[in-house]
Amino acid sequence: MSGYRMVFWTVFTLSGIWMQSFMPGIDFLAPGLILSLQEEKIRTSLVLGLLWLLIQEGTGSLAFGTVILWYGVLTALFFFGHWLFEAKNFIFMVILGACLGVLHFVLMNVMAQLQDWRLILGRVFLEGVIQAVVFPVEWGLMYIIFNHLPQGKHDV
Amino acid sequence: MALFVYLGLFTWNIRTGYVDDLASHTGLELTRWVLTPGRWAWTRLSSFWDRYVYFVGLRQENETLRSELARANDELVGSREQAALAQRLTSLLAINPPPEWSREGARVIAHRLGPNAALETFVIDKGSRQGVEVNTPVVSPEGVVGRVLRNSMSAATVIMVTDPNSKIPVVSQKTRTQGILVGRGAGQSLSLQYVSLSAPVGQGETLVTTGLAGIFPPGLPVAEVSGVSREGASLFLNVQAQALFDPQRLEEVALLKKLPPATREEPPEPLPDTSTKRPKGAADRKGEIKQRGKSEPADAKAQESTPRKRHGDGQ
Repeated sequence: MSGYRMVFWTVFTLSGIWMQSFMPGIDFLAPGLILSLQEEKIRTSLVLGLLWLLIQEGTGSLAFGTVILWYGVLTALFFFGHWLFEAKNFIFMVILGACLGVLHFVLMNVMAQLQDWRLILGRVFLEGVIQAVVFPVEWGLMYIIFNHLPQGKHDV
Repeated sequence: MALFVYLGLFTWNIRTGYVDDLASHTGLELTRWVLTPGRWAWTRLSSFWDRYVYFVGLRQENETLRSELARANDELVGSREQAALAQRLTSLLAINPPPEWSREGARVIAHRLGPNAALETFVIDKGSRQGVEVNTPVVSPEGVVGRVLRNSMSAATVIMVTDPNSKIPVVSQKTRTQGILVGRGAGQSLSLQYVSLSAPVGQGETLVTTGLAGIFPPGLPVAEVSGVSREGASLFLNVQAQALFDPQRLEEVALLKKLPPATREEPPEPLPDTSTKRPKGAADRKGEIKQRGKSEPADAKAQESTPRKRHGDGQ
């Protein structure tokens, strides 16, 4: 990984954490996972995914495992959709964002039920909707920035 | 000849003043009309120059004053922030920890963070390195805020009393009505459950912890009863309460940490046996002290617990 990319991912991670503190319940790092799967080697994606997994799990309030499912299903959806769509298509990202929104609602409910905890469904639903909107927009911005980095391979 | 003309004109002018008048009405007038606009122009020009120079100076002075004002405003904002912080910290320091508990301040660094933050939580800047453990009570100057849900070395996640998964045994301060206080989410009132229909609990009454669950020390204010009603065939009263703190304005909190039990020194007693082994009757004497503590009046108890209190305050 080049120095610029390292700086990019560092800034992305720090910004994502900051954004998450402003918008509770929303994952601002998930678009980065998809972007790394598209642009980086699988080993880099694994390292970044592991780092973000630990961040999300550590800051969350549900028992460990929720974010593994969260990122696991996201990755699976990406590879599954990769067969059907162009991987860097914005529409694909919109669909992926919608799936994430639904996944947020379902996963939170299932995991809370498993821990015998109660959730405020209205709030979780709203977070799912916001997640569905935020995901493709953030991915688009990150994709543009990433491909304008010095030594970027692709042109937008 | 010329001299003759000159002297004649001069004398005539002295007598009549015609040449002087002619000169005055022509040359002077012309000069006046020439000089007056020039003078006006000069006055204006000099006035403009004066004003320009003045304004240049004024602008510079204005800029200097503006920068000074901006700096003063910054200082004022900073001072106000510091004053507000000092006020909040002073109110935190005003929290008197119960006996055998110590108090430690912490700063709220974030509220719910990330997609996994399903509960009503916030993050503080104190963790296990500072002795914060899971279930450590968290309070504000107004009352109980929640308890530590999970901790790391230098941070901890606190679940608030407003979360639906927070259940605290409480008792009303005046009428001593007991119940379980359950949260209902952000912005919602709390619910006091399992209150019998005959309970005399009233609106405005403060609910304090009972200490039964062993997490919170007894007597800490948690909420204020905001409404009491009956619901159909329910066996219990429908009691609503408002948390005493505002989650949105929470910036600093205090952590209550249980102190290790104070070691009591055995009074020196002349013993026939000079060995270092513990005397046989020591356990019985300890029991006696406990019994004495129960039967003695409150003053005596307070005196007995004073050293421990000091010990707690000192930490």
